[in-house]
Amino acid sequence: MIPSAFDFYAPRTLDEAIALLAEHGDEAKVLAGGQSLIPAMRFRLAAPAVLVDINGIGGLDGLRETNGHLAIGALTREAALEEYTFIRERYPLLADAAHVIADPLVRNRATVGGNLAHADPANDHPAVMLAYGAELAAHGPRGARTIPIDDFFTGMFSTSLEPDELLTEIRIPRPGPGSGGAYLKVERKVGDYAISAVAVQLTMDGPTIRTIRIALTNVSPTPIRAEEAERILTGQTLTDATLEAAGQAAAAACDPSADLRGSIEYKRDLTRVLVKRAVRRAAERATK
Amino acid sequence: MEPLIGAPVARPDALAKVTGAARYPGDLDRPGTLHLKVVFAGRPHARIVGLDVTAAEAVPGVVAVLTAADVPHNAYGLVEADQPVLCGDVVRFVGDRVALVAAESQAAAEAGARLVRVVYDDLPVVSDPRAALEPGAPLVHAGRASNLVAHVPIRKGDAAAALAAADVVLEGEFRTSWQEHAFLQPEAGLAYIDEQGRVVVETAGQWLHEDRRQIAEVLGLPEEQVVVRYVAIGGAFGGREDLSVQHLLALAAWRLRRPVKIVWEREESMVGHHKRHPVQIRCTWGATRAGKIVAVRAEALADGGAYASTSQEVLKCIALFASGCYDVDHIHVDAYAVYTNNVPAGAFRGFGAPQAQFASESMVTRLAHALGMDPVAIRRINLYREGSIEPTQHPLPPGVSVRECLEACVERLAQELGGQENEAARRGPGDGERIPVPPALSWPPGHPIAAAHGPQPTALKRGWGIACGIKNLGYSFGFPEQATASVALHGGATIEHAELRIGAADVGQGVHLILRQIVAETLGVPLDVVRIIADDSAEAPNAGSASASRLTIMAGRAAHDAAAAALRLWREEEERPARATVQYCPPATTPLDPLTTAGRPNYAYGYAAQAVEVEVDTATGQVRVLRVISAHDVGRAVNRQQLEGQIEGGVAQALGYTLMEQFQMRDGRVLTPGFSTYLLPTILDTPPEIIPVVLELADPEGPYGARGVAELPLVPFAPAVAAAIHAATGVWVSDLPFTPERVLDAIAHFRQPRSRASEAGASGSVPPAAHTM
Repeated sequence: MIPSAFDFYAPRTLDEAIALLAEHGDEAKVLAGGQSLIPAMRFRLAAPAVLVDINGIGGLDGLRETNGHLAIGALTREAALEEYTFIRERYPLLADAAHVIADPLVRNRATVGGNLAHADPANDHPAVMLAYGAELAAHGPRGARTIPIDDFFTGMFSTSLEPDELLTEIRIPRPGPGSGGAYLKVERKVGDYAISAVAVQLTMDGPTIRTIRIALTNVSPTPIRAEEAERILTGQTLTDATLEAAGQAAAAACDPSADLRGSIEYKRDLTRVLVKRAVRRAAERATK
Repeated sequence: MEPLIGAPVARPDALAKVTGAARYPGDLDRPGTLHLKVVFAGRPHARIVGLDVTAAEAVPGVVAVLTAADVPHNAYGLVEADQPVLCGDVVRFVGDRVALVAAESQAAAEAGARLVRVVYDDLPVVSDPRAALEPGAPLVHAGRASNLVAHVPIRKGDAAAALAAADVVLEGEFRTSWQEHAFLQPEAGLAYIDEQGRVVVETAGQWLHEDRRQIAEVLGLPEEQVVVRYVAIGGAFGGREDLSVQHLLALAAWRLRRPVKIVWEREESMVGHHKRHPVQIRCTWGATRAGKIVAVRAEALADGGAYASTSQEVLKCIALFASGCYDVDHIHVDAYAVYTNNVPAGAFRGFGAPQAQFASESMVTRLAHALGMDPVAIRRINLYREGSIEPTQHPLPPGVSVRECLEACVERLAQELGGQENEAARRGPGDGERIPVPPALSWPPGHPIAAAHGPQPTALKRGWGIACGIKNLGYSFGFPEQATASVALHGGATIEHAELRIGAADVGQGVHLILRQIVAETLGVPLDVVRIIADDSAEAPNAGSASASRLTIMAGRAAHDAAAAALRLWREEEERPARATVQYCPPATTPLDPLTTAGRPNYAYGYAAQAVEVEVDTATGQVRVLRVISAHDVGRAVNRQQLEGQIEGGVAQALGYTLMEQFQMRDGRVLTPGFSTYLLPTILDTPPEIIPVVLELADPEGPYGARGVAELPLVPFAPAVAAAIHAATGVWVSDLPFTPERVLDAIAHFRQPRSRASEAGASGSVPPAAHTM
């Protein structure tokens, strides 16, 4: 189908974009890569009166690593994440995810910021950033602020961003010594959303898990952390018993719905298996 | 001159297709063309109690709203005319057409279609084929005695007695799913009245002359007053055998006397055309201790949906192939097709053979396991050979080469396994026995599979499966079969150009190039001397449909014979131009005798064997196909490049059918109307290695010995994957497609949660570095 009619703006600066968002409020949608928004408009699931295309704004894309964190411009294309050796080496969780988001054609256009701001529980970056404990930088008429990822997702397709705020940057804390991560996704075919996927970021102290964050994709109305599973594993060594307990805790924490991707039982069991595998893989990477 | 037969000549249409220059039906336009929009029923079963088009007609730009009253002869169908062009009293599935809006713009047509008011009185919905046969079930077609479309019995010998005497008897139950053709180009076309007053339909299809016949019947016109032309066709796979938009275009052009066009959206295409039949098969197979299969008893139930389409013909194939490609003395088969309020089922590449042989090939491998035999060995004992008696009590047509296909496949498999002892890998565990790990296949360093996946957790199991396949080439069971071609040779001393006229649809398989190669070879002229006219029902004679893997053998033979006849006139009679028209008729087939079920069903068969390697994640149920060996006897490879492309494409389609394509309906409503819900494999989902093995054992009837291959890759694939999954895990899956959830359910019965030590990787505990993940 052809989308409904809309007004189109292509601001050249962040301030112009924010002014447009402030002017149009809920009527406006931000167009970044357009890989979720355009299909939604074509299916008439979304009919924004105004599109604010931010692709012409300089400085919103690119990767920058400081001592403290990795900063990812919100407009960075997913495909860019696959290109850097340092991502594979120091951010394996992010690297894992970069290869399984949608398909290569979508990754050429889709952006990291869009994947987060769309707040689809089926998207992959929400769980990844939850596991990293990332911070999000947003700009609005009242200036800049940072939002901890744990406070970002407020519901299905909704975030704590104000209608006149633009997500500009994602900051991932730079993993220290003994860190490892992994993202495991089961999809029915390349390009489909996950039946279930699990993101794990941890730090090891010898054989012991010192810190761990686990987050789940597409098994709840919002992206969620598996906090009980984290608690079970923190301070423990990796045994079959602790892994199984953590897997079961995560399976219990999720709230999937039955759909064409699978039954509730299957999604829970898959989550249990993926948590066990992802924790083990992250731990292995941590000790390499 | 280099021989043209066998040469990998590049496709002349390839460049235009990849650059977008090719003209598909949706690209057609003429000045003053009206846009059409179909009003679909959107409900599975209802009586139409009111139809009001005044609001639609009032939309600015809307020119007319056509309804049942505007259709001269309101019934059509390929085999039986049981489908209304536009429904007047009852709708029987969600995709039934109720009205047709014609407007000056696409937007006006859509607006008008939304304003057509239909008042329905819903009727009980029959969505389960078994329930459809129950006494008292609501009738899909009132006035019929029942919902039975057809019953095809096959009786040979005494199956009951043979089963009672067999050393081993196995029962099986199998279910297959609807499959959507998913051709890239949704239905579209243009129609107008030409200067001679003929109605011209420019579109895509699979058989010019059959489209013309049905359109003429709907309009009540002589066939000569209807012209069907095909432009570039974006895939077909059987999905364009039934009329979809062709007759709607003709109706509107004829009624309105203006050019009209239509382009279906994907959802309209998905709901608006037929699917591959879902089939439930229950069967019992018996064998001697020595591995001789003595009896097959089978019952097949096919959901035909709301209209007959080609159900009766598909059903005959299902019945005939219920015992696969095996020489069995005692056979008792009952195949049923029923009406339901689901989307109609009809032709799809393989035409019943994939469904039937999913069951039969699985049963043969299970029998081997029960007997402690190698699945290859049991096939060597039982496969058809020259002179074998078919289930219909007549000898097979000559050219039986399924054994050669199997041996070529096994030989290639041995090469793939690098000479390592592979009997166990091929055999898999016996029934009930659990040997979870077949001999590991080690990937050489740097191999793409090894590089992509690294060391594997032990939950990943690999196994090989093997299966054979048979499929008739050309029409069956007495359906009139012929192909006609005309060749005209122009020039003086030498042939300067040759014109081949033959109504054979190039649906993307490349048959036009094949036909030109055959004619050029026969004439001894370069390829570019031969021009083909194939896409106009008024300009090219009838060569039959692009279906049943028949065009290379049938149209190819007609083209060859016409070229040879014209060349004789050129040389011996010195005619300038020299013209010859030849109708090729293959050996006759017969319907089955209603009392004895005996008959000669087919004049030719294609044969194949495949070996498939899978990797099963036993904790998630995911199945990856790693390698496929696909062995085919093609008689003669006319164009090697196209042949291999067709095998690879067929394997990809078979992979979708086997692992992910699941068209789903609930209570007559479609749950998977688009490609986000109906899953197709992409290139990233297809096996990293597809290895075609081509045998060229000349067919006695085919041109230069060539025989058809198009459907064959679809036939053995699913049972080969099932056998491979069994080799890897020790469990059988018997419901297509093999989704991860189904596979996991078979392996682990995961609905009763319990810990499985191997699923997270290696068992054991700290330190993590000791684990392989």
